[in-house]
Amino acid sequence: MVQLKRLSIWIGYLVVMLVLPQFFDSILSVSIFNQMAIAIVFALSYNMLLGQGGMLSFGHAVYFGFGGFLAVHTLIMIEFETVYFSILFIPLIGGVFGLLAAIFIGSFSTHKAGTVFAMISLGMGELIAASSLIFVGFFGGEAGISGDRTYGPPFFGVEFLRDVEIYYVAVFWVFIATVFMYLFTQTPAGRMANAVRDNPERAEFIGYSARKVRFISFCAAGLFAGIAGGLFALNYEFITEETLNATTSGRVLLMAYIGGLGYFIGPIVGAVILTLMNSLLSNYSDLWMLYLGVMFLLTVLFLPRGFAGFIMMHQVAWVRGTIKQLALPYLLTGVPALLVMLSAIALIEMSHVEADVLQFIGFTLEPALLTDWLMVGIVGTGSLFAVRKSLPRLRDAWDSANTIPSEGGS
Amino acid sequence: MAILTLNNVQKNFGETAIIRGVSLDIEEGEKHAIIGPNGAGKSTLFHLISGLYKVSAGSITFKESEIQDKAPYEISRLGLARSFQVTNIFQRMNVFENIRCALFWSKGYRYSFWHLLGRQKELNEQAMHVLEQIGLTDKALFPSGELAYAQQRALELGIAIASGAELIMLDEPAAGMSHSEAETSVQLIHKITEGKTLIMVEHDMNIVFNVADRISVLVYGEVIATDSPENIRSNASVQEAYLGEVATSA
Ligand SMILES: Nc1ncnc2c1ncn2[C@@H]1O[C@H](COP(=O)(O)OP(=O)(O)O)[C@@H](O)[C@H]1O
Ligand SMILES: [Mg+2]
Repeated sequence: MVQLKRLSIWIGYLVVMLVLPQFFDSILSVSIFNQMAIAIVFALSYNMLLGQGGMLSFGHAVYFGFGGFLAVHTLIMIEFETVYFSILFIPLIGGVFGLLAAIFIGSFSTHKAGTVFAMISLGMGELIAASSLIFVGFFGGEAGISGDRTYGPPFFGVEFLRDVEIYYVAVFWVFIATVFMYLFTQTPAGRMANAVRDNPERAEFIGYSARKVRFISFCAAGLFAGIAGGLFALNYEFITEETLNATTSGRVLLMAYIGGLGYFIGPIVGAVILTLMNSLLSNYSDLWMLYLGVMFLLTVLFLPRGFAGFIMMHQVAWVRGTIKQLALPYLLTGVPALLVMLSAIALIEMSHVEADVLQFIGFTLEPALLTDWLMVGIVGTGSLFAVRKSLPRLRDAWDSANTIPSEGGS
Repeated sequence: MAILTLNNVQKNFGETAIIRGVSLDIEEGEKHAIIGPNGAGKSTLFHLISGLYKVSAGSITFKESEIQDKAPYEISRLGLARSFQVTNIFQRMNVFENIRCALFWSKGYRYSFWHLLGRQKELNEQAMHVLEQIGLTDKALFPSGELAYAQQRALELGIAIASGAELIMLDEPAAGMSHSEAETSVQLIHKITEGKTLIMVEHDMNIVFNVADRISVLVYGEVIATDSPENIRSNASVQEAYLGEVATSA
């Protein structure tokens, strides 16, 4: 039964990924799906470090970027017929080099977890990013390097001219990578990663070198980050220093954290949310990084277990069938909360916009008019008041949906 | 034959000598209790034997190999398992996973990333068997960090004994337990150390005299006596240094 259920989740995962382009087939959406695919593998690999192994890395982009650079170099070699194989296997090249980089750096960075590990990861990240501007032959300097995926031999007639073809290549690798990363959690090495995360001292008294346990997770994380980097190379056909610098390292941390470190699917959720925000919001506002930062802050403060944790919080109510009781209170708090958020965004955008009018979700606002400021302010304050009013009711509903009534009754 | 030999073991923290030349033979199969007042160095001695602390001087031999320079995991692999005075478990993992992890190395899984745990029938059964022994079967899937104190102590013990090590060292296994909980612990200790060597630090004299074949008394980092329970009970200097206080306060 349990196995059947698990199998159906995996099949569902694959089917959803496969049919997505049937429903959203614009060039923009396919490009977003490709970014999501890359982000999912990258974020899952990051969680092998932080969520499963307790290693806070500020430099995970090194393996992503390094794998990506080697993948582009391989594309170039295919183009010049130095090597001859289908570009379908490019992500594997990225993986191999991500792994090699992880073996090298992990050999000294995994001695300790905690601050020492975090600082080494930061230092290595800076070091590699800086050297990418020095070794111009390999990294291509600021401009980066580019290849062309269409020179490789066709794979059963597919020549990889279109993004959607790359999407299916990505789905293939995302699925395989997800399965293997999941299976890793089900092995002795994967379980010991959890044990060492929880209590490295005790792990040593049941026969395990905490260092070696960390090293194995670290290498696995490097391998899969490299695969993600290879997917990136295939998708964009060029790569720059940005893929291995601190910005990219920070973004993958955000993805995993916002999604939820404690759950296998957490990073997947985070990758989807952040990619969507990144590509959609950035079309509407150049302040989207600010909103991202605020969202991260709110997640850390109010959803410490991420979005996946928030969903899982409802398991008890779901099983008990009391989840229905939550619908109305959620609505009564959620709608005003949404209004608070929108008003805040409107105010920020009004003070930021340079044009005379601001088009905001169907409304036309004029920053020059005091009345517009007042109106938005009043909506925002009123909604905030409504949130505060409705919160106790939500809390009560939550408690009654989650407490098991005593047998005796009254 | 001695399974464990301590030869003039010393430990200083900075200027302070905490263990001041302990020599001790633990015979194979014996149940040995170490008693002594708080701060005498009992836990420190355990940390030295198990490799958590490095000795300042002296040597420790376990099953004919010198272990004083070995890492805890190397010593553990030789067949020496221990528990801690302050509960030291894998907080965020469930009870079953705690025990199963403690079984991996002795079952030969090493650092395997190619065995799927769901398929390791024998391993999983063994873990369930240990849970049964320590009375935590119905808590198997419970997060270990949220167990009640006595149950955490039972798990602490379970992690130590799971691997089936030949030498088991328990640091105050019954500390902080009620009378009946301690009673259960004694039975458990009897059961799980059958045919094995046991070294135990314990303050509860009922437990000590119930379990031990021999007792060593540690005072200010020195063993002042090692003898049978009867002789220890009647030993004048022990009375003075330690048992006297306990007898009057109990
Ligand atoms: N890591 C340490 N650094 C400094 N002093 C220590 C350390 N560990 C223990 N001590 C000291 O060593 C003495 C013995 O401690 P301990 O072995 O825990 O005693 P016991 O277990 O017999 O109660 C105590 O005075 C304690 O303060
Ligand atoms: Mg102690």
